[in-house]
Order: sequence, then C-alpha cells, then structure tokens
Amino acid sequence: MKRLLPELAAADLRHEWILTLCLVIAVAAVVAPLLVLLGLKYGTIATLRQQLVENPAYREIRPAQTQEYRRAWLDRLEDDPAVQFLVPTISPAASVIQARGADGRYHNLDLLPTAPGDPLLLAHGVPVPGPGACVLTAPAARRLGVERGDRLTLRATRRRKGRGEYGPATLEVAGVLPEAAGTLARVYAPLELVEAVERFKQGFGVPERGWPGGEPVPFASYQAVLVLSPKPLPPLQRNALLIESGLADIEPLDAQALARWLPFSLPSGWEAWALTVPRGHVSHAAWRAVKQKLRGRGAVVLPAVARFELMLEGETVTTYGLSLSATDARRLSRPATPWGGVRRAPDSRSLLQVLAPAAHAGESRLQARFQGRLPLEFPLRVVGAAEGPYAVVPVELAGWLQTARRRPVRFEAGAFRMETGGYRGFRLYTHTIDQVPALARRLEAEGVPVVAEIEAITRIQVLDRGLTRLFWLIAVLGIGGGVAVLVASLYASVERKRRDLAMLRLIGFSRGDLFLFPVFEGLMIAGGGLLTALGSYAALAAVINRVFAEEMPASGRICQLPAGHVAAAAALTLGVAVASALLAAWKATHIDPADAIRDE
Amino acid sequence: MVEPAPAAAPRLLHLQGCKVARAQGGSRFELEIPEFEVTPGAFIAVTGESGCGKSTLLDLLALVLRPEPGGRFLLLDGDEEVDVGALWAEDDEQALARLRRRRLGYVPQSGGLIPFLGVAANLYLPPRLNGQRDYRGRIHAQAERMGVAGLFDRMPASLSGGQRQRVAILRAMAHRPALILADEPTAAVDSERAHRILAQFHDLAREEGTAIVMVTHDRSLVAQGVDRHYGFEVDASDERHVRSRCVRRA
Repeated sequence: MKRLLPELAAADLRHEWILTLCLVIAVAAVVAPLLVLLGLKYGTIATLRQQLVENPAYREIRPAQTQEYRRAWLDRLEDDPAVQFLVPTISPAASVIQARGADGRYHNLDLLPTAPGDPLLLAHGVPVPGPGACVLTAPAARRLGVERGDRLTLRATRRRKGRGEYGPATLEVAGVLPEAAGTLARVYAPLELVEAVERFKQGFGVPERGWPGGEPVPFASYQAVLVLSPKPLPPLQRNALLIESGLADIEPLDAQALARWLPFSLPSGWEAWALTVPRGHVSHAAWRAVKQKLRGRGAVVLPAVARFELMLEGETVTTYGLSLSATDARRLSRPATPWGGVRRAPDSRSLLQVLAPAAHAGESRLQARFQGRLPLEFPLRVVGAAEGPYAVVPVELAGWLQTARRRPVRFEAGAFRMETGGYRGFRLYTHTIDQVPALARRLEAEGVPVVAEIEAITRIQVLDRGLTRLFWLIAVLGIGGGVAVLVASLYASVERKRRDLAMLRLIGFSRGDLFLFPVFEGLMIAGGGLLTALGSYAALAAVINRVFAEEMPASGRICQLPAGHVAAAAALTLGVAVASALLAAWKATHIDPADAIRDE
Repeated sequence: MVEPAPAAAPRLLHLQGCKVARAQGGSRFELEIPEFEVTPGAFIAVTGESGCGKSTLLDLLALVLRPEPGGRFLLLDGDEEVDVGALWAEDDEQALARLRRRRLGYVPQSGGLIPFLGVAANLYLPPRLNGQRDYRGRIHAQAERMGVAGLFDRMPASLSGGQRQRVAILRAMAHRPALILADEPTAAVDSERAHRILAQFHDLAREEGTAIVMVTHDRSLVAQGVDRHYGFEVDASDERHVRSRCVRRA
C-alpha cells in the first residue's frame, strides 16, 4: 500500500513519457544554468580566497609606526589564538646591512628577522634559515648575483670617531624567495644575527661574533647644568654660555628654586643659574662645555638632576644627586662628597654610594629600589650621613637613573647595564585571512596602528555578497518560470485524468492518497530534472574549467560546487516541486468518485 | 440502530424508505427506494430506460452519493451490519472509502480501467490496495476462464471492447468483494458476445459467493438466472421535477 502510490505515479509518468520528458527537460533547463552559475560564483570566490590564503602576505599584520614594543607585550600577542607566527623586528634604521655581491662590491640590503614556522618562507617552499644561514628575496639575489647554496658575506657597518667600522659575517644562502614573495631587496636571517647587527650599530661590541665595541654601560641623563657664581653674571656672558653647548635656556634660581636641585643653600652674595634644554636631556659634554667657558671665574658648575624619590629599605626617601669636587667644595665652603667630583664614565661600583638620611646613618648598606622602564634594585654603601632627612647619591647615579626612566636598564652582577635596542616592530601572521580584520582592529584599539590587507579581504566579501544577490535574482526568475510550468502541467494532468483518478477513488483510494498522487509526480519530475541538470552541470563545469585552466592558479577551479551546495540545490528543487504540486493536489482531492461512473 | 438480522438468510444490503435527489441545470430528479434487498451471492438485475435513475441508484449503492436523511441503508461488513446512512450523516469519508475498498467491486460501462497501468497491474490494484497476498494465481485462473490470460502485458488502450469489459469484470472481483455493482457492463459489445460475457461473469460470481447488482437497459440479458429483478416507475409529468420509484418486478 505504501509503495502503491509512488508506483502509480511512476506508471502514469512512464505512460505519458513524452510529456514527462518535456517536463524533466524544463526542470533541467531551469536548474542546470543555475547550478553552473552557482558553481562559477563559488569557484570564483573560492579561487580568489585561495589566492589570499596561499599568499601569506594577506595574513600579515605590520605595525604602521616604529615604536618600542615590550617583550612581555609581544609574548602576550604571540599567545593570541589568531596569531600563527610572530617575530619581533628592530628599528628600520638599524636593519640595513651590506652584502658582498658576486662582483665583489657591497650592496645595501634590508635585514629582517625570521624564526622557525615563518609562513612567508614556508609558503614559498623555502626552508627557514638556521644559525649561519639566510634567505634572500629574488631582487636581493639578483642584485648580488648569488643563488641558493652560495656563501654570502654580510657586514654590519657603523661610523665611530669619523671612521667606518665593520662587523662581518659569512652565511650560507639557504634559499631564494620567488618574486611573488616581495619586490624589495631583503635578507631574512635568524633574530640573533639581527640583534647583533643592531648592537654593533649602536657602538657596542658583539664578543660572540668577534665584533669590537664598548660595553653597554648606561649614560647619564642630566636635567640641567647649574652655574653657581660668587659675582653677578652679565647678560652677554650668560648668553655666551648657551652658544655651542647644546643648551637652550638660562634662568636665575632663587633660594627656593635652588632647593629642587641642591641639598644646601649658597653663601651670601652668590647667585644661581640653571641652564636647560626644553626637551631631552643634558649630556656630560654639555656640562663640560659650560664649565670650560667659566674657567677662572671662581664659579661652580654642576650637572644636576632634580631631587627624586628612591626607595631605601622599603621607605620612600627624597634623594639628591651631587658630586662635589674638593675645589668646588672649597669655593662653596662645604665638605666635598666622599666620591669626589663628576666623572665622565664611572664604573657602577664607584657609584653605589650614599650619604644616608639620619634615620639610616648607622647602617653600612641600604637596599635601594627605583622604578624605571624596568624595576631596578641595587645596594648602596653608606659612606656618611646627610645633613637632613634625605639621601645624597653621586649625581652620575642620579643621571643613570634618569636614563633608566626612558630606556631599559638592568642591574645585574653588581653593575648597571643598558639593554640594547629593544624591539621596534614585529612580523605577524594570522592562521586565516578571516582573523586579520578583527586582530587588526584590536591592535588599533590597543594603540598600535597597523597595516593589513583588510581591503583585499573585504573586497572579496563584498564581491561574494554581490554575486550572491545576483544569483538569487536570476534564480528567482528561473525558478518562477519552472514553477509556472510545473504548476500548469500537474494541474492539467489532474484535470485530464479526472475520470481515472475518480476510478481510483471508487476502487477505494482515499482523498489523502489522491492528494499525494500529483505530489509524487512532481517529485519524480523534479528528481529527473535534477539528475539531468547535475549531469549537464558536471559536463559544462569540466569544459569551463578546462578552458580557464591556464589562467587559474594550479589549485583553482573557476566552476566548482561543494557537496553542501549540491545538497541544498537538490533540496530546494524538490521542495519547489512539492510546492508546485499543491494546486494540482488540492484539485485531485476534490474529484468525486461518482465522476467515474458518469459516462457522458 | 442495528436491528437483529432476521432468522432467514442474512441480508448483504438492505435499503428501506431511502431517497436521493439530484439537481441538474435547474431541474430536479428524485429517486425513492421503498425496499431494496440483496442477499449474499444473489444476482440482482435493475432495468429501465435511460433517465429513470439506474445510475443514481448505483451511485447510492456504491457509497458515492449521499442519501437524503431518513430511511435505512445497511451494508454487511463481515459479520457486522454497518449503518451507511449514519456514516453519511457523520461525513465519515474514511469509513465509506474503507467499505468501498473492501466490500464492493465496480464495473463501469466503459470498463474504467486505469489507462496508465497494464492489464495485470489493473487487476492487481484492488487486492494490493486491500493488502492481500497470494492473489496472482487466483486472478490468473479466473482470467484463463474469461479468456484474457494472454493479455496481461497489454495496456488497456490496446484491448477490444469485449476484452476491456472482461478485464473490468475481473478487476471488480479481484479482491473478492461481497458485492459487485455493474453498470451496463456489456453495453459496448454486441448482443451475442454480451450474453457470453455475462454468463461467465455470473458463473464466477456464484463460485466466489459474490452478489451482483447489474444495471442494464437490455431486458434480454435479464432472463438467465436472475434472483431478483427491480425496475422503475417514473413520473415525468413535471419536466422540472422528475420523480422515480425503484420497485420490484416479478
């Protein structure tokens, strides 16, 4: 009984096979072009997306500006689930390196860091270089005239005391990136080499590579040069102090203003002047220049840092920086500081001294803490007592601490040490292109302006939406026509078979059975049309793909449909067929079994 | 509702004081059936001129025409007498369709074969619809006797008038109904052949114990072996309101 009705519907369709064939072709004529259109849309979008997916450049997020990035911040960013790869970069100015070409001449190249898993290299089938190796971009390899497997001599350059100095390194060319990977002449090398080059360029030595240079000792950042004079300074002379000293302002200091700088007051009749620069710091050299100009005038010239707060044994203590030589002390009728006068490059040990405030005067050592760019903790040797509830440290130490406010300075193994460079950017790739817009937005919100190929990604999304809309417009037209044909044919069929259907009712089929009769017929016609359409689609898609094969990338097919789309198209076709059969079905239920008996 | 069956032979079909009315193009036709009775296995003939209400009577018996309220209309369904009038009053289409499917067979004038099914499929349709099994051998044997066994693979359109009627008769019997309603089953064939077909029909029905109500305008067909004979008394004095009574003949 359950199989009876589909069998009857099938028998009817077979009996009227010419009509059935026409309807099947009509359905196929609607469905097949729509499938091809859908396949083209999907294939186009998929190919465009594939190009983006395959090219890691579209997954790259670059900082738009050079600014300093803390290691901790970069580590946190690297842990983001959207981030596939992250390597910090140094400042662009420090990343220029020279490479010797096949002609023996040196060429300037950009040096960029890489690390295991670098998508740019891996996507182009180039191995990530280990220590002692590098990868060149195509323009770089062309300019140098080298190829994979060659040995390449690089050198970091710097100028010191008017002479050029070089830090050489010989690397193996582990691979050459294709043109598509970039049009700039670049060298990709492990981060370690890049950092060494930066250190060398800043004047420091890199012992592990045998590159000469100084130790990364902090420099002092003073805030002012104080001129303490026993007699008035005429305006002309005051202005002369600013010439060629790098200083910009000179201001008289009254007793109260002077208390910001010095823990003592001046003998009567003395006047005090502060020489400053509006932004930036005052160097040791500036102090030397001013001191030189006032030579023989009995003035005391001191580099100075405004009093600041230092944690001593857990207590906040106002601290002055002061280094007073015996000569200057005599002029001011004051005791000299135990550590003597200002020195240009003191060692850390000689600076770790303090005149302790009264409360700590009895102790021999005080543990000090200072909050700079990095937290600093260091011991101070108590060499005397201050005259009040404040501490006095060498002004050079105060100057170093000023530097530590802006630059990463560490205290390790009894010595202060500058961390060189610092990261000025990063190379970042997400796992998928779809993660790019969100991550880029988040970085912007964190105050890191970035550059990413968001436009290319959104352009495809816009194109996809547009094509989808177009597809549905055409689909509605086509489906509308198909529905009209099916509705009319099924209705006419019921009308034509009125007596036969009435006979079925007389034999004992119910109204519900007769309702299903046109529905089954509609489904079968749609199913036949669908199969025909799929066959036509497959054939046409194969032809289209062959025709466009040359213009497409290896993995791309311009006409393709995933199984999900095919299933959806099938479901839609069958659903529409059922809907089209409803009018005929309704008509069929209204057939009176008595019609079978009437013979007119 | 159901009265105890009389001690005599049970009645397969019993109508008493039934009325049906039909309106057609402004005129009204009314058929009254004071008493109509069919016992199991009986051969009932209904004769009359065209327009006297033969087809109306058959529609009523075939459970496709609604009787006027009032009157009795009982049909035996197995051991149970079903009140058809009540089913109509309740509009219980499902029950009427089920009765039609199980208990009735129908032979229309022109055969009424389903044109898109082959002869065999036509014959197998009623038993399949009733969920019966093992009907093929029986139907084939009956077809042999009716001389149409060789036509099983043919489509109805390719059959002659006589062949078509024979197949129609076989199909009406295929699910072994209790009652076959035949509407001029031999109108389309010549008299000699009509007699032969009718005799075969009658024989098969008797063997199966199936009752037949046959409507015909050809009185000559009625002679042989008819158990009961009904005719019509028509009052056509008012053209716009024709009345007819179905009465028993000798």
